[in-house]
Amino acid sequence: MIWLTWRQFRFQATVTLTVLAAATIYIMTTGLKMHHAYAVDIAACPHPQIGCRFFLSFQNGYDAEQRLLEMLVLAAPALIGIFWGAPLIAAELERGSHRMLWNQSVTPNRWLAVKLAILALAALLTVGVLSLLLTWWSSPLDQRTDDRFGAMTFATRGITPLGYAAFAFALGTILGLLIRRTLPAMAVTLAVFIALQILFAAVLRPNLLPSTTATMPINATTLSQVQGIGTGSDPSGPVEIFGPGPAGAWILSATNVENSSGHEISGTQVGTCFNNQSLDLTGLGDCLAPYNLHIDYTYQPAGNYWPLQWLETGLYLAFAALLGGACFWRIRRHRD
Amino acid sequence: MTAIVEAHALGKRYGARPALTDCTLHIPPGHVVGLVGPNGAGKSTLLKLACGLLTPTTGSINVLGGRPGAGPVQIAKVGYLAQDAPIEPALSIADHLKLGAHLNPRWDKAFAAARIEGLGLDPKQKAGKLSGGQRAQLALTIATGKHPDLLLLDEPVASLDPIARRDFLKLLMDTVAEHGTSVILSSHLISDLERVCDYLVVLASAQVRLAGEVEELTAAHRWITCTRRDADTLPAGVEVVSAKHTDRQSTFMVRSATPVPSGDWVSEPVGLEDLVLTYMERDTPAGRVAPQNLESTR
Repeated sequence: MIWLTWRQFRFQATVTLTVLAAATIYIMTTGLKMHHAYAVDIAACPHPQIGCRFFLSFQNGYDAEQRLLEMLVLAAPALIGIFWGAPLIAAELERGSHRMLWNQSVTPNRWLAVKLAILALAALLTVGVLSLLLTWWSSPLDQRTDDRFGAMTFATRGITPLGYAAFAFALGTILGLLIRRTLPAMAVTLAVFIALQILFAAVLRPNLLPSTTATMPINATTLSQVQGIGTGSDPSGPVEIFGPGPAGAWILSATNVENSSGHEISGTQVGTCFNNQSLDLTGLGDCLAPYNLHIDYTYQPAGNYWPLQWLETGLYLAFAALLGGACFWRIRRHRD
Repeated sequence: MTAIVEAHALGKRYGARPALTDCTLHIPPGHVVGLVGPNGAGKSTLLKLACGLLTPTTGSINVLGGRPGAGPVQIAKVGYLAQDAPIEPALSIADHLKLGAHLNPRWDKAFAAARIEGLGLDPKQKAGKLSGGQRAQLALTIATGKHPDLLLLDEPVASLDPIARRDFLKLLMDTVAEHGTSVILSSHLISDLERVCDYLVVLASAQVRLAGEVEELTAAHRWITCTRRDADTLPAGVEVVSAKHTDRQSTFMVRSATPVPSGDWVSEPVGLEDLVLTYMERDTPAGRVAPQNLESTR
């Protein structure tokens, strides 16, 4: 059975291994170069925690590569669902060869168990290697951008890709069994997988763990820790804080700057401070402190990163197990 | 010995459409069974129920004493060749033989290799590139190579040319003689079955119309030709299977356990083809003859 699974899967395996090998070589060569350059630059940087000029050019220099690799890690689970999962049983049903294969002294259940186990393992390994490579490759960049919770970053680093891969594979398999035709099963697999990915990023992930709500008064201490303050293009519009909150936190929502009675203030109300070009953020904080301003914001603290990674991965793995079970249920009730 | 197929009130519906209705069969072992009927009569459905690819909607079926598809031991006992002779197109012939050897505990390696060689096929050839006939031969080799006690063949000769058809059936008979395998093969061509089958099951409109050993069936049926008369004037103990009337003459096919008594009629033996066609055209199942319908049949 293992031999036949390999034999049927040989083409996909060859393609996957080729892509994996190419990606590994590319990531290793560019990665080693980048890590070396980063180590040299950071050694020359007197206060890395505050920042150095090279950081920006460093980020810009690797931006395109990073996006490309993120796309690869994000697409890998979907591709596994489409090209491994969907045809796994559907191709046999479509060709009618299940009538031959399922009559070879092996029950369809056992047959399915072997195929699911081998390919699920291969899927986890493939995506695991990719995720590990990207996590390593982009570690200097991720350290600087401090955007671990970004939709793209969260879904392509750490362990979440493993959950996606197992899920997409099981999803493709069950849809192939239900639809019985490879191409439609592939299309539906992709659609469902993308829909769930979006649902997770936009709705579920922020609410998987209880978030923290906090109030930040506007003064010299607090403003020195944010990225900026200001209005939009209209100077009399509401005032926003850019990049509020503790370092590494995931800001889910933040109000505009409000006064002590909870009303939004406009840029013109604090015009004397804003129009003084000589003030830096600390100086601006000192100038604004007497107005008694604050913002309210909600965030996931940095410490929730790994709990969230585990939770999301666990949920996807649980879905995968559920769908895997559904495959056995379905194949027993297969009506030829 | 256990019956090769034991079915009680077996039925299978696809949605609202019945594919097999109230099928009761007891086929003793050691037979080559011909399953004959028009297209859509339920032949494939019956064979799929027997190998476990389908489960019954109503009733029960046992094959070689076990529930079809119940486990690896049961599957090993039953070889099945589906209608379109499915193979894995991307795999070579050698791969198919390897597959058979890997998956079947009773695989007969020497037999399978000898068959492929005897057919003049190149083991390295991809199965997807074979002709329809070669493909059927390969699929049959796999079904036979697992050394089953019962071989279910769904329209095995449909895609073969006359010579391949003859060779195929000869090979089938050799296998049966050598291993004592029981066989059920379906066809809508009676001529294919006449040569090889010693047991017959006639299906039509999802129902079993006739089942029995060929010798007994042909011995029990006679043509009676006489001057025009009603069926009920025939001697008692004679079951009228069909009746056909012209202005002056009546022709009956009758079934009788005892020899038909002589009278003012001509009694002739019935050929297998006529027998099958007559039963296929009857619109009532075997054993439930509604006399009022007889006049209109045939």
